[in-house]
Amino acid sequence: MSAPKQLDPSVCNVKVTPGAVVCLEADYYGEITIGSRTVIHPKARIIAEAGPIIIGEGNLIEEQAQIINRLPEGSEPQDPPPVMVIGNNNVFEVDSYCQASKIGDNNILEAKSHIGWGVELTRGCVIGSLCSLVCPQTVPENTVIYGDELHRRSQAEKPASQGLQLDFLTKILPNYHHLIKPRKKVAA
Amino acid sequence: MELEDSYYPKAQYIETATGNRVSRASVLCGSQNIVLSGKVIVLNGVIIRGDLANVRVGRHCVISSRAVIRPPFKKFSKGVAFFPLHIGDHVYIGEGSIINAAAVGSYVYIGKNCVIGRRCVLKDCCMIADNTVLPPETVVPPFAIYTGSPARQTGDLPEATQDLMTDYTRSCYHHFIRVKDLPPQAREGANVARLVDV
Repeated sequence: MSAPKQLDPSVCNVKVTPGAVVCLEADYYGEITIGSRTVIHPKARIIAEAGPIIIGEGNLIEEQAQIINRLPEGSEPQDPPPVMVIGNNNVFEVDSYCQASKIGDNNILEAKSHIGWGVELTRGCVIGSLCSLVCPQTVPENTVIYGDELHRRSQAEKPASQGLQLDFLTKILPNYHHLIKPRKKVAA
Repeated sequence: MELEDSYYPKAQYIETATGNRVSRASVLCGSQNIVLSGKVIVLNGVIIRGDLANVRVGRHCVISSRAVIRPPFKKFSKGVAFFPLHIGDHVYIGEGSIINAAAVGSYVYIGKNCVIGRRCVLKDCCMIADNTVLPPETVVPPFAIYTGSPARQTGDLPEATQDLMTDYTRSCYHHFIRVKDLPPQAREGANVARLVDV
C-alpha cells in the first residue's frame, strides 16, 4: 500500500509557486493555485468544486483544515464560476472549515472554527475555536470572535505574523513528507 | 459498569510487541519520534505529528478516532521551536479532540471535540468535558473538571479518580477485541479465542 508519488491530473490541477511547501498527503480537487511561502500540512483538504481557489503568499494550512469552494445546495451553476481568493499570511488551524467567498490578509481561523458560504473576511480577523459563522456577512477589520456566545470585539493591533513558524516548517516538513513540486513552466 | 465489547479486524490494526494497537487508517507523521509505551490504542483517523517534535504517550492510553496530537509551538526572540509533548499513563482522549498541550499528566480524561490550546499543562487526575476550549497556556490543577469555551473550572473529581481511570482504560483495552480478518486464517482461530477469554 504505497502512497502515490504524484497527483492525478484528471482530478486536480494544482499550481505551486516556488518556495511553497505543499504536502502531497492532503486532498486536492479542482483548480488550485498556491502562492510562495505557503505551507500546507498533510491531511488538509482543498476542494475547488464550483470554481478555482487561489491561495496567496505566506499562508499556513494545518492538518484537517478544509477549504472548500462549493455552491450552496440547490443553486444554479454560475457563469463565470465563483473564484475563491485567499490573501496573504492567513492561518487555518487544525480542523477549521472555510467556505468563505473571499479572505483578505492576516486572518486566523482557530482550531475547529467554521466559516460558512457567503462570508467575507477582511483583514486581521480572528475566528476563535469552535466558533461558527454561517450567515452571509462581511466581517470588519481586526474583529475577534470568541467564546460560547460568539462575543465580538475589535483588537487594536493586528495578529502577529507566523513568518518564523513558516520558515521552521519549510525546513523540517521536506524531511518527513513528499511534496508537490512546482512545475518548471511556472518557474520560468 | 462493564464496557461493551468492541471488535476490530486484525487486518486493519497493527499490534506491536508491547501491546499497542494502532489502526492502519491513522497518520503517524515522523514515526521515529513517537513513543507509545505499551497497551496504547490508537483508533482510525488519528493524527500524531511526530515530525514537529517528540511525542511520548504513556501506558494504557486510548486515543479515539479523529483526534489530533500535535506538539505545541512557541516563538522566541531568536527563532522558534516546537516543544516535545508528553502524555502520562491511563489517559483517555475523546473523538475529534485536538491536543496542543505541553504536558498531559496521568489519569486524565479528555472528552469529545475538545481543543486543548498551545502549551497547556494538564496535571494528573483532571477531566476536560466534551466541547471544551482550553485557551493557550492554561494550567489545569489535579482533580478539576473544566468545561465551556473558554474553559472554566466547574467541579471536582473524587479522590478515587486514579483507580477509576486505571480501571476504565484497562477495560477499554480488554474490551477491544481482535476478530478474524476477512480471509480466514486457521492459525488465528486459537489466538482470537484466547483474547476473548481475557
